[in-house]
Amino acid sequence: MVIEKNVQKNIEKIKKIYGYSTDISTRIIKLGKVNVGIIFLESSSAGLTVSDNVIKSINMIDDNKEIFQSVYDNLKNRIFNSQMTTTKDFNKFPYFLSAGFTIVLTDDSDEAIVLETRMPLDRGVTESSSEPILRGPKDSFTESHAKNLGLIRKRIKDENLWFDEIQIGKRSKTRVNIGYISDIVNKNEVDYVKKQLSKINIDGILDSGNLREYLISEKSAFPQVQSTERPDLVSWALLNGKIAIFVENSPIVLVLPAVFIDFIHTPEDYYQKPLNISLTRILKFISLFITLFTPAIYIAITTFDQIVVPNELLISLAVQREAVPFPTAVEIILLMTIFEILRESDIRMPSNMGTAMSIVGALVLGQAAVDAGIVSPIAVIVVAFTSICSLIFTDIDFMNGIRFWRFIFILAATFFGLIGVAIAVIIFILKLASLENFGVSYLAPFSPFNPSAQKDAIVRFSMPKIFKRPSYMKIKNIKKQGDKHES
Amino acid sequence: MKAKLIILFLICIFLSGCGNYRELNQIAIITGIGIDKKDDEYEVSVLIANAQKSETSSKEGESQPTVYSGKGKSLVEATKVVERKTPKQLYLGHINVVLISEEVAEDGFLKVADWLLRNPESRKKFYLILAKDSSAKDVLEIVSPLESFPSQNIATLMGANSKTQSITNSVTYSDFIKAILTEGEEGILPSIKIMGKANKGDSKDNLDQTDPETYLELDAIAVFKDDKFVGYTTNDESQAINILKNTVKQSIFTINYNNGLTNITTKNISSNIKIKDTDKFKITINGEARIAEINSKANLNDKNVIKQLENKLNKKIEKQIKTVIKSMQEKYQSDIFGFGNLVYQNYPKSFKDVEDKWNDKYFPNIKVNVKSNVELISTGSIENTIGKEESK
Repeated sequence: MVIEKNVQKNIEKIKKIYGYSTDISTRIIKLGKVNVGIIFLESSSAGLTVSDNVIKSINMIDDNKEIFQSVYDNLKNRIFNSQMTTTKDFNKFPYFLSAGFTIVLTDDSDEAIVLETRMPLDRGVTESSSEPILRGPKDSFTESHAKNLGLIRKRIKDENLWFDEIQIGKRSKTRVNIGYISDIVNKNEVDYVKKQLSKINIDGILDSGNLREYLISEKSAFPQVQSTERPDLVSWALLNGKIAIFVENSPIVLVLPAVFIDFIHTPEDYYQKPLNISLTRILKFISLFITLFTPAIYIAITTFDQIVVPNELLISLAVQREAVPFPTAVEIILLMTIFEILRESDIRMPSNMGTAMSIVGALVLGQAAVDAGIVSPIAVIVVAFTSICSLIFTDIDFMNGIRFWRFIFILAATFFGLIGVAIAVIIFILKLASLENFGVSYLAPFSPFNPSAQKDAIVRFSMPKIFKRPSYMKIKNIKKQGDKHES
Repeated sequence: MKAKLIILFLICIFLSGCGNYRELNQIAIITGIGIDKKDDEYEVSVLIANAQKSETSSKEGESQPTVYSGKGKSLVEATKVVERKTPKQLYLGHINVVLISEEVAEDGFLKVADWLLRNPESRKKFYLILAKDSSAKDVLEIVSPLESFPSQNIATLMGANSKTQSITNSVTYSDFIKAILTEGEEGILPSIKIMGKANKGDSKDNLDQTDPETYLELDAIAVFKDDKFVGYTTNDESQAINILKNTVKQSIFTINYNNGLTNITTKNISSNIKIKDTDKFKITINGEARIAEINSKANLNDKNVIKQLENKLNKKIEKQIKTVIKSMQEKYQSDIFGFGNLVYQNYPKSFKDVEDKWNDKYFPNIKVNVKSNVELISTGSIENTIGKEESK
């Protein structure tokens, strides 16, 4: 639709499109014989900015003698605003208005001036709450799209850091940016991601979480896309040739492709001494094994394979279990369920009720359950230990993947004992090893074994010795530092 | 396809049942077994470790050891009687010790060996001990203040002493059966004795005294011929047996020097038996020694004194070894050292002719040459003897 050379008519049309919603603000100012119309939404534009920048400059034009042919040209050249575009398409008006722009129309032109007067509807940059860090930058992404991109630009000032924009959602018209460093990344991956995203035909998306299922069909319980609110993690990933997906209004950025060890590593790993971090990483791997297998192994050795338990321990276990009415597997699954319920309700509950929660959780369900003879003390220890070890990992999807497989192992142990656990472990490894995204194997760099990437896998070598980006990533430019490193 | 696989998997789960599934509170964990024989019947006593002490014990993980016994014509028959008395399934996987009485041992061990060897649950790595001068059941019942239950007490006693005390020798069930079945070798077993009154030791009162009235003590080595118990050795003989069998690392010898007693501890002592002919053997002992205690005047800075002590020690070792071999040859005619096995390995053809009469006819007549080369390498933390220098 074209814009008519009549301000009054245009304003009437806009009001009709918006169903005469009351947050539409219009004003007509007369400059000589020419009407100048101003349209904005008071719900998404900042009124003060509109008065200060737009209306003031329109009024000041009157004082100047005309040096331009028309009022429209005069306005276009003299209006105060850093962001200004023009459009001849009436159909774009609703998008601009909803996004917080102000539209200036004149009687003598079929073009409209569009000025950015967005109301800052977001919180400031705050500390990350879901991925806390001891040593390192503490800022995190917010709901503001520009700020999120800015947090990355601030860190990587290279002009090869590109943000490709796609608009997704017929009604929400959400801006989605695909960030990558153009001379490192594998272009095919970017094209694939763009293709997948442009295929989406949905009314609206509200968070980056809505997008991940469209990107990769994740058949495993373990995540293949990393989601984070840490700008330093995203920047590090971009430097390693990964792709980041920023979604307007979402403080969570998606990073892909992600492999298994990405969920064990943290950005903090690169800010501390390599020796100590290597030990921490080994500890994390041990925790991973503990949290996956402890309950299953406990069930297997107490109900099938008692022979592997040392004498004193077996007798102690047997005496503790004497008064418990349930089978071991039921006891463990019961306690695990209670812990999961506690965890879930702790997330949903207002934080000022947390104290009551911990008292109920620790005293009633722990101590009292043992005293009442419902569960044995060792079962509480096993479940508590398992749960604590799973809390070492920050990614919620990863934790839930562990939980899923832990349950499979428990079932295998309940029915088949240690042999069942062994078979389940084989299936577990087969499943993980068969995963792949963008040609990157999920268990890389362990399977297929990649010698050069071992410098930053279980142990971390000192930074000056890591010359290459992870070589299992199929990227254009593998060199990270050294003589041939460009720019 | 996928649905079929899932159905197959579920069938596997539900049809397999739960194999050898058993909860811990359904089993009676047996940690010790005593085998006695009275007339024609065997009495099997089992020590069950996971009985509850009182209501509160389940929280503290304490247990009250309990002994059940049953009689029968065979061991399995006897255990069936025991099972009738216990509400739980007997579980043999965690046996620490098996005690046999002298009667059982004299009657022939192989008659009772089959059950525990054949049972797939039992680990076969438990200690086998002969109960000296009392029934195996009595020994099994003695409680000790230092360990939570009797079988553990015996097992720790064995484990701790077999390496440092040379009068005993820890033998596992499978070791012993292997020794019995080896060509030209006989078995030995450690023995254990109740000190004090046997009927007092099974009550908890025994634990409340600072000087327990009843306790267990490891005693000399029991010698077997074929699978039958023939007699005990003396302490000196036990020491020599241990050195010859290389089962002891540390051993103490007392020698006379300068009208006083000197104790010398040997370290890493090892023996080596070489065969020269079907009836001639050479034994060499190597090792290091350290002075543990010296109560007479001696100038230990003098190399000659050290040499003298060394010679005396070696003489003593040689004599002890010769004595024990002679004793075995004459008293028991039992080749516990495995000389016959060496003959079997080196001269298999000629051993065939002597095999049947080896113990009775040929072993008593073999000639053994013993040479001990133990070196005295240390005088301990101090060098010379304490006391004022005597003016000469």
